[in-house]
Amino acid sequence: MHGASAISGIGESTYYARGESPHTEFQLACIAIQRAVEDAGIDLADVDGFVSYTDQRNLPTRLARALGVRELRWAASTWPGGGNSVAAAVQLADAAVSAGYARNVIVFRALAQGQFGRFGQAGGTGAGGDGLAMAGIFAWGGTYGLLTPAQQCALRMARFMHDHGISQEALCDVTLACYANAQRNPRALRHGKPLTREEYHASRWIVTPFHLHDCCPENDGAAACVVTTAERARDLRHPPACILAAAQGNGPGFGIFDQRNLASSHYEQVSAHLWKDAGLRPEDVDVAQFYENFSGLVLIALCEMGFASPDGVEAFVSNGALEGPNAAFPFNTSGGNIGEAYIHGFQLINESVRQIRGKSTCQVNDVERALVVGGPGYAPGSAVLFGTAG
Amino acid sequence: MTRVLGASWALPILDHRNRAFFTSGVLTLQRCRGCGHVQHPPEDVCEACQGQDFDGFESAGKGCIESVAVAHHPVHPALADQVPYAIVLVSVADAPGILIAGNVVGTDPGDVRIGDRVGVVFEAATDPDSGETLKIPQWEILR
Repeated sequence: MHGASAISGIGESTYYARGESPHTEFQLACIAIQRAVEDAGIDLADVDGFVSYTDQRNLPTRLARALGVRELRWAASTWPGGGNSVAAAVQLADAAVSAGYARNVIVFRALAQGQFGRFGQAGGTGAGGDGLAMAGIFAWGGTYGLLTPAQQCALRMARFMHDHGISQEALCDVTLACYANAQRNPRALRHGKPLTREEYHASRWIVTPFHLHDCCPENDGAAACVVTTAERARDLRHPPACILAAAQGNGPGFGIFDQRNLASSHYEQVSAHLWKDAGLRPEDVDVAQFYENFSGLVLIALCEMGFASPDGVEAFVSNGALEGPNAAFPFNTSGGNIGEAYIHGFQLINESVRQIRGKSTCQVNDVERALVVGGPGYAPGSAVLFGTAG
Repeated sequence: MTRVLGASWALPILDHRNRAFFTSGVLTLQRCRGCGHVQHPPEDVCEACQGQDFDGFESAGKGCIESVAVAHHPVHPALADQVPYAIVLVSVADAPGILIAGNVVGTDPGDVRIGDRVGVVFEAATDPDSGETLKIPQWEILR
């Protein structure tokens, strides 16, 4: 079963600063999907499935019509949440293709915040006189000015740093690695805009312990891939990126009001299932992409995924250990959410495929296995492991 | 006591789940009538026994700061004059396992520390729509 499906094509639109896309969100989605299909070397008409995650507005029926799809057989999405579900979306496509329900499934993410407003913005459930309504679940935090994902993740991070003696430098190291790797990537919005440690520390606080540069920017754009059987992918244009294992989950308990999960990224269960299903260990991974909406939670995810111990994770990321193709731990090689673009993590999927193909702008030598870990701090978390062979 | 985040900051919209918490003047948490389990935030079903009948548990409101983050960026225009403010998650001794969000009264945001012992206090507000008096739980550091 594992390795039965693979990514055969990847594509993306140009990435833009928030609100600067000249295309509608639907047009961005279509551009990314068309490019992924062209990259795979198949016909648009032969696409038979669409998968996305987290309140994707561009519906599969609308896409199928616009793109001339002959027959739609698989339309699926994860539940509302955030970037936690990016790898779970690939898992949904893997499930469809491995089970034979569909043959060429598109997985994608598109966002145009100029058209639709900001994702993850402060707010309650909608219209009050001042635009805020602290109703229902929002009352418990919003009443106290606890409104945003940054603030929620900051509370997790502060406790993790307190418990394990983590300094601000460790968060800085994650951010600087993303910026450094983005300098090699012409697609990256931070390409040509390097960041120094001094500039990091001088940047304003958003919410402690996150400086401005710990928070990924907001962008417009779209990215997509094609999932098909590994057998078919081997006959197509590019070497397949085989899906060795994918996992999603969390528990017991959920959220920042549960003491068991306060200093957690919600990845312990994902980690256990991913490594067991793949029959592999963290040290078998050649290159990893970790979703970093906020730099610091990567440190928690690194621990929960088995790459470092909480008391050793600061040393694990220090001294440039995450930067460049020859890094001690090759990480977010396209620049990640912080350096390349915040397409809710989907660009991390495409970068992993490039690493498997040997075509990254920050190519690690002899990549056989590439990992994507989805958004930390919300649940269910998800991760996917790609390989050159199934 | 005036409101930590200012008189113009949005008030909770009262409902059957949160009315006692935000109006009683006692730190009142949801307790399962069937098994006595206390959970927060309230839910329709008890996470311990799946019961669906609840009453209120009146906590003594003595606890500990389990995490603190100081908000510097005002994420809403009404908070522009209120930053920086400390957001805390508090555990209470008589209802272990749960965390309650709040702000800290009487201490500079930068001086709030994980591990500080705290006691509940209440800030007064009037719901402009219903005229109902709110007593919003907040936290004071015990020195």
